Amino acid sequence: MAIKLEKVVEKFYQGLEEGKFLGRKCPVCGAVEFPPVYACNTCGNLETEWVELSGKGKMKSIVMPAALSTKPEYAQMGAFAYGEVELEEGACFNAVVKGITKKKRREIMENNKLPVPVHAETFQRDGYKTIVFALDEE
Amino acid sequence: MNHTKLNKYARSVSIIGVGCTPFMYTVDNPETNGLTEGEMFGYAALKAMEDAGITAKDVDFYFHGEASPLNGSNYLTPGVQIANWFGMKGKANIHHSEACCTGYLAIEEAANAVASGKYNCVLTGCVEFGDSTPSPADNVESPKHPYKRDKMTMEKFLKTTAWLYDRNYARSFMAPMELIYDDAAEDYVRTRGISAQEMDDTLNWMAINNRRNAAKNPLALERKEFAEIAKEKGFDDVMAYMRSPYNPKMGDFLRMEGVERKCDGAAAAIVCATEMIPQIAKNLKHKPIEVLGIGCSALEATNPHFEIRATEEAVRQVYELTGVKPEELDLFFANDFIITSHLVSAEIAGYLPYGEGWKYICEGRTAYDGDKPINTNGGRTSFGHAHAASGLADIYEACMQMRGECGERQVKKLPKTTMLRGYGGAQNVAAVLLRTMD
Repeated sequence: MAIKLEKVVEKFYQGLEEGKFLGRKCPVCGAVEFPPVYACNTCGNLETEWVELSGKGKMKSIVMPAALSTKPEYAQMGAFAYGEVELEEGACFNAVVKGITKKKRREIMENNKLPVPVHAETFQRDGYKTIVFALDEE
Repeated sequence: MNHTKLNKYARSVSIIGVGCTPFMYTVDNPETNGLTEGEMFGYAALKAMEDAGITAKDVDFYFHGEASPLNGSNYLTPGVQIANWFGMKGKANIHHSEACCTGYLAIEEAANAVASGKYNCVLTGCVEFGDSTPSPADNVESPKHPYKRDKMTMEKFLKTTAWLYDRNYARSFMAPMELIYDDAAEDYVRTRGISAQEMDDTLNWMAINNRRNAAKNPLALERKEFAEIAKEKGFDDVMAYMRSPYNPKMGDFLRMEGVERKCDGAAAAIVCATEMIPQIAKNLKHKPIEVLGIGCSALEATNPHFEIRATEEAVRQVYELTGVKPEELDLFFANDFIITSHLVSAEIAGYLPYGEGWKYICEGRTAYDGDKPINTNGGRTSFGHAHAASGLADIYEACMQMRGECGERQVKKLPKTTMLRGYGGAQNVAAVLLRTMD
């Protein structure tokens, strides 16, 4: 490999248009960067390479949207929450997870069910698709 | 996550002078309507020089901070424009902008410049018009009126707040931007095992305690205590008022009074090589406040629990560098534009015990007259939040408390060691450690 001036962001979003979830994997330590960037933040290696992700993960925290933290556009997603998602390949990031109501959150928290399994989906925004997650069927 | 080991400053650095404007809604008051950037920054700078007993000739360089210069001032290079106002024509400067962390990194920049030996004495100042924009406020095109300003609409403020976040992923993913309001509260509830009701009470008590402090501070924006407001609205119990629709839920946990009051203000400090104080500041009338060290970290908002993780790293760095122990802290400040910050950062710093901090807050122990005072100036919810300037306003308050010059709101035990946790810009974090020189 060589360090390349490469359109990582564009390729990531083009992947979403095709239903693919793309990350970058470090060839030295194996850590996965998601969302994708050039370098490895685990071992400091200067290069990473493209890897297609399964989209499977788990949600580790749950915050419900409220007046300050929502926008009219988000209503298209139905019930959802925000929180930390960890992919099965290891990367952790903040994401939207669909299918969570206040009642559902209470049930998860009262029964110590965190982390809960989730899977990636795409969501159409103004002119591009982005990544969101949804609770796995129980 | 990456970690950094800090090295000691090449020479000791001290704060010898501080200045601060009132935090205010300039446009709302005929006496302040029309104040400009040069006048606001200049006032704070000159007050800091006066406090240090020096003139502008003694200052080698200045740092200028403003969080949103294009939006708030119609400037790209705001630092260059104002040197004449405080006697520093021809002296060099650097402008920096790290949103709500600007005022803390203003001390970081100044301390580094002096510790390196390049400059002996520098000014570091910040100004912000958080509540108004150059007139007309409808766009960012030049020319603007030379001094008239219009109120900043909430719509414009919220739109431009998005500029704080990474455009490639954070804005697109939605959750990174929206988690700023409640992530820390959710984490605290889950990891400490308290109930949502206990968190609600804690958030309300932080607002009450901040307001009690601000009530005694002539520079603060909001000075009427919630107990008095509650009575005016027919509530005998202040907490009943805080839980009422007068203080509505705005977030999953957060209520209205737990959110910053954006406003206008400026603050400044004079930072000097400690060894040069006898030559530069011969008329200094108070003890210098030494900058022991500053830990820094940054995590943009796609990273889970960005405020908590970055605060842990910044605090770890400064304790490792200085050898100072949490039990040595006498006073604590936290940038609490989301008031939960004030609880979580005080626990991370060990100023309040892990999992017990919420009880200290609910017992009033973190108000100015308690044994663990936090944000004695009133914090962002009551002192006000002039975004870049707020960090230096905290430095101003810390120095005044450490000198015993805070009058009615002076804390019980004269503080010798103070930590200030800066936070902002989605998200930069700094942990500033100050100690009064013997």
